[in-house]
Amino acid sequence: MLANAPRIKIITGHFGSGKTEISINLSLMEKENHDKVAITDLDVINPYFRSREVRSHFEEKEIELIAPKGELATADLPIVSGETNRVLHDPNYHLIIDVGGDKDGATALGQYYNDLKNLNYEMIFVINTNRPYVSTVEGMKATIKQIERVSRLKVSGLINNTNLGLETSLAVIEKGYEIALQASKQLDLPLLYTTISNNLLEETKEFASTHDVKYIQRFMTLPWE
Amino acid sequence: MGKVLMKGNEVIAEAAVHAGCKYLFSYPITPQSELVAYMAKRLPEVGGLFLQAESEVAAINMVYGAASAGVRVMTSSSSPGVSLKQEGISYLVGSELPAVVVNIMRGGPGLGSIQPAQSDYFQATKGGGHGDYQIPVYAPATLQEIVDLMRDAFNLADRYRTPVYILGDGMLGQMMEPVEFKEVVNEELPPKDWATTATRGDGGPKLTNSLFLDPAELEEHNNHLQAKYAKIKEAEVRYESYLLDDADYVIVAYGTVSRIAKNAIKEARNQGIKVGMIRPITLWPFPEQPFIETRDRVKGYLTVEMSAGQMVEDVRLAVEGRKPVFFYGRTGGMVPGQEEILEKIIEMAGGEQ
Repeated sequence: MLANAPRIKIITGHFGSGKTEISINLSLMEKENHDKVAITDLDVINPYFRSREVRSHFEEKEIELIAPKGELATADLPIVSGETNRVLHDPNYHLIIDVGGDKDGATALGQYYNDLKNLNYEMIFVINTNRPYVSTVEGMKATIKQIERVSRLKVSGLINNTNLGLETSLAVIEKGYEIALQASKQLDLPLLYTTISNNLLEETKEFASTHDVKYIQRFMTLPWE
Repeated sequence: MGKVLMKGNEVIAEAAVHAGCKYLFSYPITPQSELVAYMAKRLPEVGGLFLQAESEVAAINMVYGAASAGVRVMTSSSSPGVSLKQEGISYLVGSELPAVVVNIMRGGPGLGSIQPAQSDYFQATKGGGHGDYQIPVYAPATLQEIVDLMRDAFNLADRYRTPVYILGDGMLGQMMEPVEFKEVVNEELPPKDWATTATRGDGGPKLTNSLFLDPAELEEHNNHLQAKYAKIKEAEVRYESYLLDDADYVIVAYGTVSRIAKNAIKEARNQGIKVGMIRPITLWPFPEQPFIETRDRVKGYLTVEMSAGQMVEDVRLAVEGRKPVFFYGRTGGMVPGQEEILEKIIEMAGGEQ
C-alpha cells in the first residue's frame, strides 16, 4: 500500500454491484497495514445483506463498524450514525465508507460533502456489467453522473467486480473486464483492479498474473450456501 | 440475451414485463420496494405505466380498473400492505378480473419486522378477504423459477379470469442470483370480449361488477366460481418431488425454506436416514397427489415453515391421519437453519442411525 494512498475510500456503485462485499474486504486489507480502521455502513437502501450483519467478524478483527446497533440495525429507517463524523476527522483512522446503491443510496453521502472536500479521499465506482442498466458504458456513465450530482463528490476510480454470483466463470470476468476497460477510457477514470471471489482462485490464476486482481471473500451468503 | 445477475424483486418485475404486463399500481414497502423502483424505470420503456398510489387500498382499486379494461396488470406489496388490499382482491374475484398480486412476506402480525417470513399462507390460500373464494398461489423457490412462473401466473389469470398470487418471502425478494429471460411464444388465450372497452352497437353495456342483489343470482354466481375452482384444482396443481422414491421420511417445504431443507436432506442421507421432499409450487391448489402416493409407504412427514404452522394443516388433510405429521417452524423473521432441520429429521427418525 502506498504511503500517500488516500485515508478515506468511498465505495459507490449501481444497486447490487457488490459494494458491501468489497467494502468489507477492503477494510480487512486496510487492517493489515493500519492500526485504526473503521467501516461506516451508509446503506439506507438495502433492508438485508448489509455490512452491519457481519458485526461479530469486525469485532474479532478489531475493525470499528459504524452502523445502527441492536434493534435499530434491522429497523426500516434510513439511519446514519453520528459516529461517522468522528472517524472522518481523525487522521489516525483509515476509513471505508460503504454507500448504498445508485443515486438514492449516494444521497446519504451528500451530507458529508463539506467534510470530505478538504480531506484525502478516493471515491470508487464498482462495476458489475451483468447487472441491468449498467451493462454498457453509457449505463455506467449515467449512473456515475447521478451519484456525483447527489453526493457533490467526484468518482476517481473504477473497480471491475463483474460476476454472476455462484455461476461466475473466467469468461464472465474477462467479458466484464473488457467493458470496464472501455469505460475507463471513455470516462477518463483509472480502472484500479478487478475483484474476484476467492473460490475462483484456481480458475483465474492466469488472469491474475497479467492483471491487477484482488481476491475477495464473500460474507453475504444465503442460508443454504 | 445471456444471463444477468438480479435481485428477486427485480426479477419479478422484469419477468412480468416479459409476460406482457404493462401496468403496476403499488405503494412501496420493505422488503419489496425494489420491485416498485425497477418498474418505475422499466414500464415507461415498454410503453407501460407505473403509478405510485396514495395507499394500498387505492392501488388494488386501480388494478380493478385496469383489469376491467382488459390489460395485463399487477400490484405488489409485503404482508401489511397485502392485508390492506384484501377488500379489493375480493372484488376482483367477485367480478372475475384477471390480475397478479405479489406478496413478498415479512414477519407479522401487525407491523412485525422487515425480515423474511411465510406467515401469510393462510391469508393467501384460505380466502383472505370476505366471501367464498380461492386464489391460485404460486410459490417460487429460485429466481429462475420466478421468471417461468410469472408468465404462467398471467396466463392462468387470463384463462380463468381470476387474480393470482405470487407468494415469496423477503429473502427471495432481496437475494441475488443469475437468471435468463428466454423469449417464449405465449399460449393462445381466449379473447377478452368482456373487457369494458366500449361496445360497437353489438349488445348491451359491458360491466365488471360484484354486486348481485338477488340472492338466487348470487348463489348461481358462487356456483359458477366454485365450478371454476374445481377446474383449477384439476388442471393447475404444481409441485416438485425430491428424492421421494426410496424415502422413509418426507420433508414438506415451499419457497426458500425448501432450499435450506434440501441441504439438511443431503446430510441426513449421509447419516443413513432416507429423506425426500415434496415442494408445493402451487400452494392453492395444494398438491394432494404426492401425499396420496407416499402416505402408505413412508414413516412420517415433517413440515418446515417460516411460520407458527400454517401449510402443515393442508399436509395433515392430505395425509388423512395415516402417518404422523411433524412440524418445525421459526417466526418473526428468523430463518430455520440446516442444522436445526437436520436435528428434527433425526428426532423424527427416532434418533441417530
